[in-house]
Amino acid sequence: MILSFVILFVVTLVYLSITERYRNYAVIVSLQGWILLAIALLRLHSVNWAELAFVLAETLLFKALIVPQILFAVIRRTKINRVIGSGSSQFRSLVMSLAALAASASITYYIADQSIDMIFFGVALYALLSGLILIVSRQRIFSHMVGFLVIENGVFLFSTAIGVEMPILINMAIMLDILMSILMLGVFLTRIDHTIHADDADSLTKVKD
Amino acid sequence: MIYYLILSVLLAGSAFAATTRRAVNAAGALFYAVQAAFAVWILTGGRFGSASGGFFTYDALGTVFFVLLAVVSLFVFIHSEVYFRDEDIRLYRRYFSLLMLLTTAIAGVYFADNIAVTWIFLEATTLCSAGIIYHRRTAQALEATWKYVFVCSTGIATAYLGILLLCSAADGSLAYSSLAERVASGNPLYMKTAVLLVLCGYSCKMEIFPLYTIGVDANFAAPAPASALISTGLVNAGFIAIFRVYKVMASSEAFEWMRHVLILVGLLSLAIGAMFLRRTNNYKRFLSYSTVENMGIVAIGLGIGGIGVWAALFHVICHTFVKSSLMLQVAVMRHIFNGYRINRIGDYISINRVGAIGFIVGTVVLLAFPPSPLFVSELMILKQIIADGQWWIMAVVLLLLCIVIYSICSRIMRLCYQPNLDEVHDPKCEHWLSWSAMALLAAAMVLGVWQPELLRDVIDQIVTL
Repeated sequence: MILSFVILFVVTLVYLSITERYRNYAVIVSLQGWILLAIALLRLHSVNWAELAFVLAETLLFKALIVPQILFAVIRRTKINRVIGSGSSQFRSLVMSLAALAASASITYYIADQSIDMIFFGVALYALLSGLILIVSRQRIFSHMVGFLVIENGVFLFSTAIGVEMPILINMAIMLDILMSILMLGVFLTRIDHTIHADDADSLTKVKD
Repeated sequence: MIYYLILSVLLAGSAFAATTRRAVNAAGALFYAVQAAFAVWILTGGRFGSASGGFFTYDALGTVFFVLLAVVSLFVFIHSEVYFRDEDIRLYRRYFSLLMLLTTAIAGVYFADNIAVTWIFLEATTLCSAGIIYHRRTAQALEATWKYVFVCSTGIATAYLGILLLCSAADGSLAYSSLAERVASGNPLYMKTAVLLVLCGYSCKMEIFPLYTIGVDANFAAPAPASALISTGLVNAGFIAIFRVYKVMASSEAFEWMRHVLILVGLLSLAIGAMFLRRTNNYKRFLSYSTVENMGIVAIGLGIGGIGVWAALFHVICHTFVKSSLMLQVAVMRHIFNGYRINRIGDYISINRVGAIGFIVGTVVLLAFPPSPLFVSELMILKQIIADGQWWIMAVVLLLLCIVIYSICSRIMRLCYQPNLDEVHDPKCEHWLSWSAMALLAAAMVLGVWQPELLRDVIDQIVTL
């Protein structure tokens, strides 16, 4: 069961590399939130109310509901609908994404450690690389934010796979990370568009040597 | 530690709620009294070397850097008070409460004895720093804040993945001591991946390659006195986070590999510092690139090992005094000129003689000429490089240091002696600010000629821990 959700998560990452519409980005981020909720619930070590509350807040409340809603609000407000430049970039992104998938699978295969859930590690690494590819290859700030959210989701996925001595501490750290992403989305929504009128990372070039 | 954190946050909150400057300053005075009392309590109350609350430790590393932080932060507070004399009360109180929160978050990083707690406080420093960087509310400040929050968050998230890898390979331990015991039996390839992710992520705080850029941008946009804290206290927080992982990895098979990575990162940081010191046209960015260069030397020291580790620690301690002094001198300079442009500002020696002397002496110390303490640390690192027979590293370091010396000398000479093209506001600025910044420099120079036995013992203790 968990494996099917993990595969679905990988599919969302591949789809993210070929889609060009920002509404799809927001939908995928929301879908990833729901997948992470399912995985986290299935992997709960025991019925601990504090842990359950953290998991529900992190995945359902923030990742599946609030963050996608803010993304939709950003799309409505800034009226940006798709990545700059279509056509060839789709194919290039897909190739880069598949190369990242191959690299993640290879590293996972070579490590082959019994003490670690290697599938989760491989997928988390793929999410990290996918997020970085999105940040580096796309021009608009919105894509960069989605890239960061994807990295966060990968980190969260891996955190559900490891058994640590103090899971509450790990949950607190994840919560702080989510808070940072909401802060970033808030800054984008309320400040950047007002002050700089930028939907493009190229406009952010005043701070340089 | 928990009481210290609560009290500090409450005092920062009271500064934020204050309605007059006097009330903000009173909250600040109380805050620094708490810092001083906490340091005294650790050192004389028998707490030195003990653990606190399961997540913190009052070890030598944390305590030394906390004392440095308290001193630098106090200087920054005093200089900021003058810097923002005409500021709107809302911005004034917000700035000072964020300054106190940043100091508290950095202290949390220093004393953390748990890899997840270190990460949490580092993330908290990003939040506080972002508020300080955005203080001016200009388009440039917003851009720098956005970049800082975005790159820091991405870097820290990457580091977090590395931390999770490290923990899972060490049976779920999060405390540094148990991590150190368990990584020895961990899969080396797994450890290497974890170290690479952690190093890459924390580089945004320590201002080394690859994520050094945001530290430079942050210093550029933040008010000048706050830059003194960001380029020393916060950079030291990044250093401590990496150094604690370095100590953890000492028993692992991947340690040798980590040292090679640190040498590479150090050389690249030094090269970037040397290159951009010549290119930049802004004094704050100029000093920030000098931080990148110095942290590169520190990374090389850690990577080379032996007495290089001792030297790296000594270098960081002395760099804290020197860089904070120079950043505060820049804050004084900002009172007089319109900006920080290197090609327009000049004749500083006749406009503010004390400040100019502070810059010249600071430059001599920064360039590691005797009696600079940086001379001692750099010499020790070079000796270890020679002892290891790493001649190519020696050649690259010396070449890059020559470029650094030329760049820094030429820029500071321009500041003091080239004709001034900028508007001069207040040539009779308050000289005591320049003198007070020079006090930090004097402390560094004292360490250059005389290293107290106590400091030597403490650094020995940190290195052998």
